[in-house]
Amino acid sequence: MANAKKLIIEPLRKTNPVTVLVLGICSCLAVTAQLKPALVMGASVTVVTALSNFIISLLRKGIPNRIRIIVQLVVVATLVILIDQFLKAFAYDVSKQLSVYVGLIITNCIIMGRLEAFALSHGPWESFLDGLGNGLGYSLILVIVAFFRELLGSGTLLGYQVIPQSFYEAGYMNNGLMILPPMALIVVGIIIWIQRTRNPEMQENNQN
Amino acid sequence: MKKDINSNGHIFLYATILIVVVAVLLAATALWLQPFQDRNKKNEKRINILTAAGIPEVSAKNAAWLFEKHCTASFLLDENGNPTDNDEGLPVFVIDRQTSVIPMQGNGLWGPIWGYLAIAADGKTVVGATFGHKSETPGLGGEITTEKFQGQFAGKQVMGNGKPIPIEFDAITGATKTSNGVKEMIDNTLEKYSAYLKKFAERGE
Repeated sequence: MANAKKLIIEPLRKTNPVTVLVLGICSCLAVTAQLKPALVMGASVTVVTALSNFIISLLRKGIPNRIRIIVQLVVVATLVILIDQFLKAFAYDVSKQLSVYVGLIITNCIIMGRLEAFALSHGPWESFLDGLGNGLGYSLILVIVAFFRELLGSGTLLGYQVIPQSFYEAGYMNNGLMILPPMALIVVGIIIWIQRTRNPEMQENNQN
Repeated sequence: MKKDINSNGHIFLYATILIVVVAVLLAATALWLQPFQDRNKKNEKRINILTAAGIPEVSAKNAAWLFEKHCTASFLLDENGNPTDNDEGLPVFVIDRQTSVIPMQGNGLWGPIWGYLAIAADGKTVVGATFGHKSETPGLGGEITTEKFQGQFAGKQVMGNGKPIPIEFDAITGATKTSNGVKEMIDNTLEKYSAYLKKFAERGE
């Protein structure tokens, strides 16, 4: 059981897919201007990573080595399309939110990365947990970045005004730069900086 | 005897089976869910039309019923702005016998955008507008679907002296292309419908 806990907790910290493995940066730029899309995207990627890890792990002994990437891609794409179809039929509002993410989910490097690095060499249950953990690790960074971008960029959180009107009257202004994609990179950079400063063992040795 | 999973034969067999299974699965799901998805799309359209016309609290549950109640007429227009029986033309939905709701289509940054513009019985004052998009960036261009953005259109004058007035509104920061797309879409649509809208002003005088 300790192992299962480790599989889920570790990707939130020391093996975080975004800040340590630097995967999934593209979608991190696209969906973090506000908190709500970031939450939806985080949840979708978590579901897809966990399920695709599980399925590929079940199939792993029969997949021919030379076409394994194609097989992974087919499984991930099928899964995403199925989920999209179900949402369109039974949760239309969520599906409207997701519209643009569907493509982004398939191309998310974290999913393929975990399939290659973990699911092909581990059992289904472990792979499922690993996918869950990595999805959550990704969501965590997304939510942190989106929190600061929405707070400083629009003065709102989840669409609700949190910076009081009196601030604006006193001359406070929303930082328009925060809404633009480059600021996502800078916020992620700051998170990586803080993380590495607090965990010196993560710093590479550059004194050759 | 252990089969070699990396032999060409096995690869072909594996790929074929995988593709057939996936294709059948996807096709079956799509067929099965089609009616549900169609119903959702239809409701979505009704909600957008009714909301643009200022009917409050329309939801997926009551959309069909409210649409039946409020939409008193819907017809197609010929190029002179008169209702026509032809199969082609510009669609108009009349809500409560006075508001004309006209559909709009345009292009955003990444893909198509669309919307509905509701115009009062005087043929020039906007009652409301709703927008939708396929793939605009959430939080930027995607904001065109929010109430905050859509709310600013009510009360704007779009016709003067029988000509459409170019629309002016507060664009979205960081979403210049989408905002331009919205403006272009509204202006183009008004141009197309001006023959129809002009008639209201003439009748009023």
